[in-house]
Amino acid sequence: MSLRLLNQNAEVLNKSAALYMNINAAKGLQDVLKTNLGPKGTIKMLVGGAGDIKLTKDGNTLLKEMQIQNPTAIMIARTAVAQDDISGDGTTSTVLFIGELMKQSERYIAEGMHPRVLVDGFDIAKRATLNFLEQFKTPVVMGDEPDKETLKMVARTTLRTKLYEALADQLTEIIVNGVLCIRKPEEPIDLFMVEIMHMRHKFDVDTRLIEGLVLDHGSRHPDMKRRAENCYILTCNVSLEYEKSEINAGFFYSNAEQREKMVAAERRQVDERVQKIIDLKNMVCSGNDNNFVVINQKGIDPPSLDLLARAGIIALRRAKRRNMERLVLVCGGEAVNSVDDLTPDCLGWAGLVYEHVLGEEKYTFVENVKNPYSCTILIKGPNDHTIAQIKDAVRDGLRAVKNTLEDEAVVLGAGAFEVAARQHLINNVKKTVRGRAQLGVEAFADALLVVPKTLADNSGLDTQDVLIGLTAEHDKGNVVGLSQHTGEPIDPHLEGIFDNYSVKRQIINSGPVIASQLLLVDEVIRAGRNMRKPT
Amino acid sequence: MKEIVTIQVGDFSNYIGSHFWNFQDELLGLSEEPHGDPVFRNAFLDMDVLYRTGETQQGIATYTPRLLSIGFQGSLGSLSSCGSFYDETSSSDPSHVITWTGKITRQASKPCKKNLFLKSLEEDEHRPPLLDSTSVREDYSESEIQDKDRVECLQNCVEFWTDFSKVHYHPQSLYELNGLWTDILEFDNYGIGKDVLLSCSQGEEMKERLRFFVEDCDHIQGIHFTVDDSGGFSSVAADFLEHIADEYTNTPVLLYAARGPKSRMDENKRQLVFRALHDSVSLTKLSSFCKLMVPIGLPSLSRSKAATFLSIEDEKPFHCSAVYAAALNSISLPFRMDAFGSSAASNYFSGAIDMGGLVYMLTDQARQNSVAILDVAMPSPPLTGEERKGSVLQSLHSLTPEVAEDIEDAYQVETAVIHGAIHKGGRRAAVSEVKDSFYEAYESFPNKPLFSHLSVTQSPLPIPLPFPSIFGSHVGPRGELLHNPIPDSQPRGSLNIHSIPMAARLRSSNAILPYVEKRLTNLQRFGIDRGAPGSELLRSWGFQNDEVQDMGEVLSKMAMTLKPHSGMSSDSE
Repeated sequence: MSLRLLNQNAEVLNKSAALYMNINAAKGLQDVLKTNLGPKGTIKMLVGGAGDIKLTKDGNTLLKEMQIQNPTAIMIARTAVAQDDISGDGTTSTVLFIGELMKQSERYIAEGMHPRVLVDGFDIAKRATLNFLEQFKTPVVMGDEPDKETLKMVARTTLRTKLYEALADQLTEIIVNGVLCIRKPEEPIDLFMVEIMHMRHKFDVDTRLIEGLVLDHGSRHPDMKRRAENCYILTCNVSLEYEKSEINAGFFYSNAEQREKMVAAERRQVDERVQKIIDLKNMVCSGNDNNFVVINQKGIDPPSLDLLARAGIIALRRAKRRNMERLVLVCGGEAVNSVDDLTPDCLGWAGLVYEHVLGEEKYTFVENVKNPYSCTILIKGPNDHTIAQIKDAVRDGLRAVKNTLEDEAVVLGAGAFEVAARQHLINNVKKTVRGRAQLGVEAFADALLVVPKTLADNSGLDTQDVLIGLTAEHDKGNVVGLSQHTGEPIDPHLEGIFDNYSVKRQIINSGPVIASQLLLVDEVIRAGRNMRKPT
Repeated sequence: MKEIVTIQVGDFSNYIGSHFWNFQDELLGLSEEPHGDPVFRNAFLDMDVLYRTGETQQGIATYTPRLLSIGFQGSLGSLSSCGSFYDETSSSDPSHVITWTGKITRQASKPCKKNLFLKSLEEDEHRPPLLDSTSVREDYSESEIQDKDRVECLQNCVEFWTDFSKVHYHPQSLYELNGLWTDILEFDNYGIGKDVLLSCSQGEEMKERLRFFVEDCDHIQGIHFTVDDSGGFSSVAADFLEHIADEYTNTPVLLYAARGPKSRMDENKRQLVFRALHDSVSLTKLSSFCKLMVPIGLPSLSRSKAATFLSIEDEKPFHCSAVYAAALNSISLPFRMDAFGSSAASNYFSGAIDMGGLVYMLTDQARQNSVAILDVAMPSPPLTGEERKGSVLQSLHSLTPEVAEDIEDAYQVETAVIHGAIHKGGRRAAVSEVKDSFYEAYESFPNKPLFSHLSVTQSPLPIPLPFPSIFGSHVGPRGELLHNPIPDSQPRGSLNIHSIPMAARLRSSNAILPYVEKRLTNLQRFGIDRGAPGSELLRSWGFQNDEVQDMGEVLSKMAMTLKPHSGMSSDSE
């Protein structure tokens, strides 16, 4: 082979071997993730070499934790993770769908069909399915007062696949309220405005929504109050620590006295800045028992803390950059970058500010605010891996609610869409296609069924029975999904099982693209480094 | 007090860091030992600069490095990423899953075995302290044998940087990147690490952890940053540095771009282009986001002059990193000298300077050069006065690759640290003696630098048990240089040598010019010129043409500032 002339070390896999390598990799990855799917799936506990525990039922997390080496598998995994980045969910489904497309293709290719023809069929089927999705979706009008029930159903569907029912239902409420809290008319939803904070403390059911903000640090001065009511909040990004300015750094003074002077002058500037804050405090708090809290993005050094503490001000330093934005949304006022023109208008307001200490970790709660446009989901749990898993679930739930608000549509879940789309392809679309590309459409249609099949499989049901039951019911003209408990066809609408429209759309879009690419590979070359040493 | 936050990015940096923290741990231990060497007890080193005090949820006080270490998934070996101090002792069984009522599968990877050294550390902690002295002595003879085994086991089987670490880490300190799906061998170029920080959750997590340590500081003096420059970690670091420059604007960053001595076998042309471009891009990007950058890592440390008295096996990162760590430790001493100690303290040290001062001194002088050279003398020669003038100066050899030797540079600025210097007979030299001899040496030196700062302390570098056996036969138990080599041909380590005197120096000089120029010409040849073989590659790393042009300009500017004005000595090179 010509490549051998160029590089003797190159390894070459020829046509069918290359194809089977790809198909096997896709099937392998599918097998790993298959058991994850749905509310009856299996949770996976990963124990690392040093005994670290990770708990996950999320395809995305699982893929990231796996040290995948096979290049085909990496390609699929990247697509699936991209799926998560774009739409927030559907990683597992993407992997399953790609795997199933490959599996179905294998059958036809073994019978001597050219992959090119299959791929053409995929393409037709994909477009038809996307069109069908447009008809099939259930539009939801969001307007100013979105239908909370719909949002809850979507969030619940996602969460129940990640957490046990009672906790999922509890979080559903929290998540929907959280997203609605940060939603502003005419603006895209910025989920970063929902802070997710965690505490290793108490139990998972103590997780709650705080209409306010929780910061993961506290004041650094022993004399500052640990709890204060009726607080003015100053959000600022002003350095309150003595910094050497560039000019006098080092050794440009000729004697110690000069140096002292320089230092004193620098110090005075900082003190003046602190004084301006104290002046403002005295202005707004004199004659009443209101309190004053400074939350600074930059540092505050001990002398400044001391001055502030003496003036009865609570001060937090080095706040997260994002919290600057959130604080303003929570408390009102504005974030100031200089103390030169401080007015009472800059100040926000919170009814209660208090500190919670767990070992060396301090948390500051800013609560009882008037009109919050930002909020915090405080996750609690007894250990780190439980917290991490709840956190993943909350993220997915938030994305699901956000997607619904943006799509203004949902899709019936529990495999209903897949069954309907399959029947549509077989009964209507296939006939319009000429030639062997028909078989590609058929392969695609059958691959769609992987979702209900896996759901049935994970619930311990017989997949054949279930599929026959479903298609039969569908052909009677009903929209049907799969009941996890009985295996009987159900109406997902009544059960409140809804998936995201954009997630489904993305899966239908990206799955066939990757599958087609993999099918069209007819030679795999590995040149150069072949002394890969396993790590 | 002025705190330093340390960041280590990449595997080799973590090797260096592991040695570095072992030195600190040893210093801490020695300063508390009642019958120890007084130079350690009176070291006047403020360890709070590098360490933080904390408390576990159970209320146990902790003292851990103020460190953020970033590594590859699985690079921690047998160490749990939560550290060892803050172990969850929660009542519930960790294997009990409370968030899911359905089926559970458990997938355990093969547990990493702890080596003999780590096991014995663990045992030590659980053993009750011994009370009467007789039992101590008996135990001593027993542990003598054990120590030998432990050292030997490390000599042969260090696989992870955690294998020889005796330090406890804070749970926020250790961070592993996951989901990269590449072999560590393939994680070797600038492009591949580029998106790590952009992928939201990981970048966010790293920034959060850094913030945790910075928030803890009353008054941060600087960030001590070590990066493994040879692979994808340099772009992770570049993105991280950009964030630091943005968020902590006035905090100086001292960056060591370290490089492990890799055996680069059968490299073809394409890989050479790959490497060369990586080096150029990495230098441009890293230097643009930090105040001072020090490239370290010789291609072959064992054959370099810096290793005259050492016997190093190049292919072992465990060995090489020890030398770099020792040098880094020396340079960091002046940052920790307790400037407001008692007056008696001045007998023990002089020349305290903070990180900002040092960075400013080296970079803001006559020329604005931000790439410095690290020189080291390990061990530093005896302070003999008459016999060998300027011996310390002559024994300093570069750990920075590709530097010109013996050049004259009228604008050279340098800062040197000498610690634990001894006289020929083995007597510890007083601080003033060291200073005198150093300045005296410069008097007779032909090319005196424009400015030179010297820090001296009496405490030498202690050699902790897990230090590799890399000393040659000319080194005595206190680091003195022997005239007659010890007959035993084995390299000597922590069992025979307790401490060594060290000298290290950072200099900003045009000796770095070849280093910069090579990267500049490579970038031009492989990346910018018409039909350059690497332009496609650069595009795949996400750099557009004009960005590459900009990088070329940055590099040529860097080279320009270093070129001697009006061609004074350009012919002599």
